[in-house]
Amino acid sequence: MEAATTEATRVAPAPPPKVTERAREERKLAWMLCAPAVITMLLVTGFPIAYAVYLSLQKYDLRFPDQKEFVGLSNYVDALGSSTWWGDVWNTSLITIVSVSLELALGMAIALVMHRAIFGRGPVRAAILIPYGIVTVVAAFAWRYAFDPASGFVQGLPLISDTAAPLTERGGSLIVIILTEVWKTTPFIALLLLAGLALVPDELHEAAKVDGANAMQRFFRITLPLMRPAILVALLFRTLDAFRLFDTVFIQTQGANGTETVSILSYNVLINRVNLGLGSAVSVLIFICVLLIAFFFVKVLGTSTAQQRGEV
Amino acid sequence: MTHTPRERAAWSLAIFMVLVYALVPVMWMISLSLKPADKLSTERGFFYGIFHPDFDNYDTIFSGNVFTKPLVNSIGIAAIATFIAILLASMAAYALSRLDFPGKTLILSGALAVAMFPPISIVGSLFNIWRNIGLYDTWPGLIIPYMTFTLPLAIYTLSAFFREIPWELEQAAQVDGATPFQAFRKVIVPLAAPGVFTASILVFIFAWNDFIFANTLTSTDNARTVPAALAFFTGESQFEQPIGAISAAAVVVTVPIIIMVLIFQRRIVAGLTAGAVKG
Amino acid sequence: MRVGRVVVFGAVLAATALAGCGSGGGGGGTPTLNWYVFKEPGGAYDQAVANCNKQAGGRYKIVYQALPTDANQQRELLVRRLAAKDSSVDLVGADVIWTAEFAQAGWIKPWTGANRAAAVKDRLVGPLKTVQYRGGVWAAPFTSNTQLLWYRKDLVPNPGENATWDQIIDTAIKKGKSIEVQGNQYEGLTVWINALVEGAGTPMVSQTGKVTASDKAIEDAARIVRRLATTKAAPAGLGTNKEDEARLGFESGRSVYQLNYTFIYPSAAEVTTPKDFQKRIGWARYPRTVADKPSRPPLGGINVAVGNYTKHEDVAFRAALCLSQPKNQAIASEKGGLPPTSEAVYNDAKVKKAFPFADELRRSIEEAGPRPVTPAYSDISLAIQKTFHPESEVQPSDVVSKLQDRLDKAAEGKIF
Repeated sequence: MEAATTEATRVAPAPPPKVTERAREERKLAWMLCAPAVITMLLVTGFPIAYAVYLSLQKYDLRFPDQKEFVGLSNYVDALGSSTWWGDVWNTSLITIVSVSLELALGMAIALVMHRAIFGRGPVRAAILIPYGIVTVVAAFAWRYAFDPASGFVQGLPLISDTAAPLTERGGSLIVIILTEVWKTTPFIALLLLAGLALVPDELHEAAKVDGANAMQRFFRITLPLMRPAILVALLFRTLDAFRLFDTVFIQTQGANGTETVSILSYNVLINRVNLGLGSAVSVLIFICVLLIAFFFVKVLGTSTAQQRGEV
Repeated sequence: MTHTPRERAAWSLAIFMVLVYALVPVMWMISLSLKPADKLSTERGFFYGIFHPDFDNYDTIFSGNVFTKPLVNSIGIAAIATFIAILLASMAAYALSRLDFPGKTLILSGALAVAMFPPISIVGSLFNIWRNIGLYDTWPGLIIPYMTFTLPLAIYTLSAFFREIPWELEQAAQVDGATPFQAFRKVIVPLAAPGVFTASILVFIFAWNDFIFANTLTSTDNARTVPAALAFFTGESQFEQPIGAISAAAVVVTVPIIIMVLIFQRRIVAGLTAGAVKG
Repeated sequence: MRVGRVVVFGAVLAATALAGCGSGGGGGGTPTLNWYVFKEPGGAYDQAVANCNKQAGGRYKIVYQALPTDANQQRELLVRRLAAKDSSVDLVGADVIWTAEFAQAGWIKPWTGANRAAAVKDRLVGPLKTVQYRGGVWAAPFTSNTQLLWYRKDLVPNPGENATWDQIIDTAIKKGKSIEVQGNQYEGLTVWINALVEGAGTPMVSQTGKVTASDKAIEDAARIVRRLATTKAAPAGLGTNKEDEARLGFESGRSVYQLNYTFIYPSAAEVTTPKDFQKRIGWARYPRTVADKPSRPPLGGINVAVGNYTKHEDVAFRAALCLSQPKNQAIASEKGGLPPTSEAVYNDAKVKKAFPFADELRRSIEEAGPRPVTPAYSDISLAIQKTFHPESEVQPSDVVSKLQDRLDKAAEGKIF
């Protein structure tokens, strides 16, 4: 198809209708091919979020079905004015920032090991895919039981008190949750960083070595800056993921001990208290937060999603 | 380049630590699942279950329906969602990587947006909508959100793979006398197969893994998948924590994925880094 | 491409058909009644179901659908299904605290006429109150439950009828052992706090969510909670302990007192060290909050309600009455350690044998302090839980205002 088109244009200013005809056909085909996927995505995400906005403007509690009424923005006023919401935003942000930082550092270390390993790359790569493949709920249970004062193994380790019960208090719970999250997603970050590492040309390293730079200097002055785009993309996706944290917290503490995250709050209000109006307002607020984070990364930090958008 | 024994030792240590990192929780769950209930608080060693295996817990979870039905649900729902998602994504990826048309960037950006979307934000709406049209607690009720949220991942992975395919081969085959369909089937399909296979694995893992939709859009084992079932496991007594049963179920649901991941590790890594998108 | 679309359409159809296969059950023949209730380990509920199916002689067939162990989780799952107008919920094994909520939301059917008379016949006052809301009767009381103060006869003296919390905390500290209570952030915590506050004089919360207990009563309760949590009397893992962790803790010997339901007694027979563990256990009434007011033990239990969207209304009521009849209550006592709700059953020989403490039990149930009866109960319970957890951080000085604040927000359907 393409060969014919190019020929047509090379020969002479080709009769316009013929080229446009082809291009039009191609376009039609392309849209038809994309249509099912696009329509699905629009319908299943766009419509419910619009519906959530609609629900959020009402007072609608399934336990009092006769009291449904339109109340404008009062659900939002309640949510934004409640210290519980802001406390949860703080918890979620704290967990997000700490996990993502740890994942970045640890992921970089693993990426370096994989990049420079002189043997055993296969087993290492296989091993780090295991946390990726494990169901999050299973990982959450595994770590919860490991720290359980009645049956866990952590209490038997040196340096740890025999009656330590981290999941009964805030600090300990946060540590266990962050540990689980970091354990589970560091491999993914490591892989992304590894791909970025592979893009750093070896000649630069050789040249720097000749110039007398040691390993640390080379790492911070050459490797990191060149990996910046890859790092930013990894950060963007991981931060968004971490902000949407739900599974681990649900399984380990259900949000008790001051570890409630925004997703757990929304779940409690929507599903437990079946207060659809208020719960939808919280959901929409979470959506807005996610948009803000994405906006921050793309516009302020300059994360380029060009590769994802197919322009690279 | 030869490496000194010290270098080898250092790398061995590094690799060993990475292996330990990855395997600790898995080994722990296996050990727990092989520990009978009465030894739970008395024998706390990490390896106890592995050296003194007792298959009580596995018996428990496979007798009766409390685990087998969710397992069937998980497999069925994930498989169907994967099939549909790959189908839709392949068509879109074909268009995106091969054809030229306005709106390409828009579609890719939109898919990116869906990938970043917080599922919790639509859980309430879906709960209400599904409730009213009768999709609540049904297979389609879960398949639909799963295939939607895996579409971006599938589209990106497949586009990346499809971009690498030399499409001229198809024309060459046609020049050689094959019909368009034959050319497609014999030339393109084998070239595209690895990409499709990889994308399927990634999508399946995503659907298998989901908890939030499985939790909120189901209430019985008509459609409840294993992650949600684990959270609601019934214990032996009114008040008992079914640690052993949960561990056994966790192992059953994890080991196949691990085996799959180990066998297909090259493909998975290629897929994850090709699209360089969230997993 | 057409092929593609057809395949997709076909797949969705197939999926829908598959889904339809799963939940079948209607159609002619014997009506199937699904009874959603927690999994009772002793086999008592299984026996009740079997008895009733035999008694029914083909008019209906009850199917036991097991719910999770945690009361919160049971409610979560039931509420979802009832809110989704699920017609397969025929019978509900309803925890006593759900009556007002489910009745107000229109999720269970009211009992009238002869059914109503049969449901309330000969029932103890406490359990009877738990099925009543706004003048109507909404379920048939089946089994009850209350907590006793269990103690190690071989290590501490009999606390007696009038022991106070302070006294047993003192004794525990002196012995260097702990007191097992349920301190996890869940319904069990509300049970404890409610018992403490009611024991100090007045019900905790009114039907509209207003705090009706005096400030002093709440402060007394908070003081006891804090004292237990911050002294040697605190068991390990207090903040995550539910009923079973408490039982295990007591059986391991780390504590000399335990506040728990009667299920711990049959379980004690299985303990191997020390020998004769069950013989070393004594029981007494739930401790007093203040020395001059009798204690108000917690009141739990399961009532059998009829789901509002059931397709088999008539037989559902009959089945509910059959399940909750005195014969099955006796079996529940014997096999499951669950106290009966009908007065006469307490005189049954089998029950007396299963419960050496039957008299104490009945007295406790008669004088129990029920939890608040209000449709917004789950919100109120959550507000109480959040205020009193973690126990070691409870401050008597500000607990009243914190509680009132949360309860106000809960009553208004706001975030708290």
